Amino acid sequence: MTLTTPMSPDGPPSVRIRDLTVVYRTAAGELPAVRDVSMDLAPGTVTGLVGESGSGKSTLALSLLNAVQPPGRISAGSVDIGGLGDVVQLRGDKLRQARGGQIGYVFQAAQNSLNPLKTVGKQLLDLGRSHDVKDLRALVAEARDLLARMGLDGARVLDSYQHELSGGMRQRVGIMLALVLNAHVVVLDEPTTALDMITQANILEIIREIHAERGLTTLVITHDIGVVAEVADEIAVMYGGRLVEQGPVRAVLGDPHHPYTRGLIQAIPRLTGDIDEAQALPGRPPTLTTIPDQGCVFRSRCALRMDVCDTVDPLFQSTGDRMVACHAVAPAATFTTTTSESEREMTPSRAWSGIGSGRREPAADGDGVVARETNEGDSA
Amino acid sequence: MKGIARRLAGHLARGLVMIWVVLTFTFVIVSIMPGDPVQAEYELLLQQGHSPQQAEAQTAMLHRFRPTGSVLEQYLEYMGSLLRLDLGQSVVTRVDVSTILGEATRWTVIPVLIGTVLSFVLGVLIGVYAAIKRSGKLGDALTLSGSLLRGLPDFVVALILAAIFATLWPVLPRSGAVNILYEPGFNLDYILSLGQHAILPIATYAISSYGGWILAMKSSVVTVLGDDFILAAELRGMKRSVIFRYIARNAILPLFTIFALSIAALFSGAIFVERIFNYPGLGMLLINSIGRRDITVMTGAFLLITAAVIVANIVADMFYTVIDPRVRRAGDAA
Repeated sequence: MTLTTPMSPDGPPSVRIRDLTVVYRTAAGELPAVRDVSMDLAPGTVTGLVGESGSGKSTLALSLLNAVQPPGRISAGSVDIGGLGDVVQLRGDKLRQARGGQIGYVFQAAQNSLNPLKTVGKQLLDLGRSHDVKDLRALVAEARDLLARMGLDGARVLDSYQHELSGGMRQRVGIMLALVLNAHVVVLDEPTTALDMITQANILEIIREIHAERGLTTLVITHDIGVVAEVADEIAVMYGGRLVEQGPVRAVLGDPHHPYTRGLIQAIPRLTGDIDEAQALPGRPPTLTTIPDQGCVFRSRCALRMDVCDTVDPLFQSTGDRMVACHAVAPAATFTTTTSESEREMTPSRAWSGIGSGRREPAADGDGVVARETNEGDSA
Repeated sequence: MKGIARRLAGHLARGLVMIWVVLTFTFVIVSIMPGDPVQAEYELLLQQGHSPQQAEAQTAMLHRFRPTGSVLEQYLEYMGSLLRLDLGQSVVTRVDVSTILGEATRWTVIPVLIGTVLSFVLGVLIGVYAAIKRSGKLGDALTLSGSLLRGLPDFVVALILAAIFATLWPVLPRSGAVNILYEPGFNLDYILSLGQHAILPIATYAISSYGGWILAMKSSVVTVLGDDFILAAELRGMKRSVIFRYIARNAILPLFTIFALSIAALFSGAIFVERIFNYPGLGMLLINSIGRRDITVMTGAFLLITAAVIVANIVADMFYTVIDPRVRRAGDAA
């Protein structure tokens, strides 16, 4: 479905995230929840972002709307959204209009994303007025239409309060409110968590349909790989605030490269076969305070750990059909694109600059050199 | 609407039952209380040479309590007169109890209402501010002031105010409701005197309840700020004014209940404050009538305070029904 559903003359917008770092202020100083994340969302695709709780996926999602909540803040990087420019630089009314107007955000169903004291219809009108919609009647008609397409009685739902709607209905109302202003980029934060299986399947189907119909660029955040397999074209895996692997869903799920992705997939119990075949990853994910400030974030749980992993961040680089951040995986691939070439060259200089600034221990010196040699040796 | 009417009818029925229960208790307490003035009067009349029938008729007419007959008969007679809305006359002054209560109620209701509304408005506004600035020094200071004032009973506040503004720095009158030298009526001197006398009681009511409002509003706003729908509204690009209304309406909801109840509580809570400022309200009346064993006034005052609490409860609940759709629609469905 890529690039085949142009909605406007310029085509649907896409999202380019570059070197995004989001930090949270804590008693121990500002700690990164998302670090140096670069990611593209191709126009018309559904990307599934998976990761454990605390991996930074929700923080990354909020960054798309420049809505990271204090004490967090975006400390570096950019989020370019087609037709909007860099969202990180947007302020005031422009930012507010972009939220809801161009970028829709759908909350988790179990969370109550509606004002309990107002009917859905009144909140729809609040939304319309906030975005200076001239024709409120048309807005209501559009909302009714969207709800009808999701199998709901639009008029009745608009006249209802939140407490009168079921979880699945609320979720559809959330999707309606995210799309009714014609947003072209949609972020769904755990859209099916806390829904029963039938409703879950329903919602996923709706997401797929509306996505295709409107030519949206969609990011689905979940900790459920099944949801990604169901709905997404692309998958991105987050761990400890880093993107560790990204690529086409079939390729990544069929043949995961990063040891973390591999571990995640092995941990899923199968319908057929013994429950013991599912293997849990040993150890626990890092928290904000235990994320190592240098080296690979996954190394403490990694079976493929090498010396270089302790000191040098693996780069998120292309290995053919996907991007992977792993010392044990990346060098095996052949580099053809110019971007990965330039990124690869940056590795040693980054390692050096870290040492040069004196923030790291002298002992790291040798490792840095080794890392550079390893990189050069392997790529040759 | 049908739901609301049903709800109201249910409340009224329960309210009447509660009033009946309280009246019965009052009756029992009064009939076992030592120093019964009716009995005393009855014996006095007998000594004066009246026949038992005459004496009985006279005391019954005066006090609504039959000094003879079984307790059950007395009780039925008492209830019967209340059903005719007849509260009887004061044992001491022979004035109609309803007149006495009406006079005293004015002196309680108006200052209590002004004080409570004042502290409600101030407390809510400052509470919102303290919630927004909760991580700053000023927010902390406001919260602390709320906690301190909340711990201070109204009679302590009253004594402190009296000590400062009537004794150490005598700018306000110490006691009474008005300077008796002025002609009652619509003239400037009289009204100014009324105002001057009301300042300290009103300030006491306001200060002693204000701390509670700050704390209640602050925690309510903080709770609502953490609610998902506020972040959701922000992420949908709602205007700040819209979001502020969402916060305000949701946060103030639980406070209306406390507001109505606190007004009811102040009717009885005014006892100490009115005593300190010698203010002729319901609290004063109650204390004086107890001291004089003025049974009819006493029971009348109890009845009024009970009714005020029950009515305030009903008003709070009905108001909630109007402003909270969750309660309203639930009532419709029932």
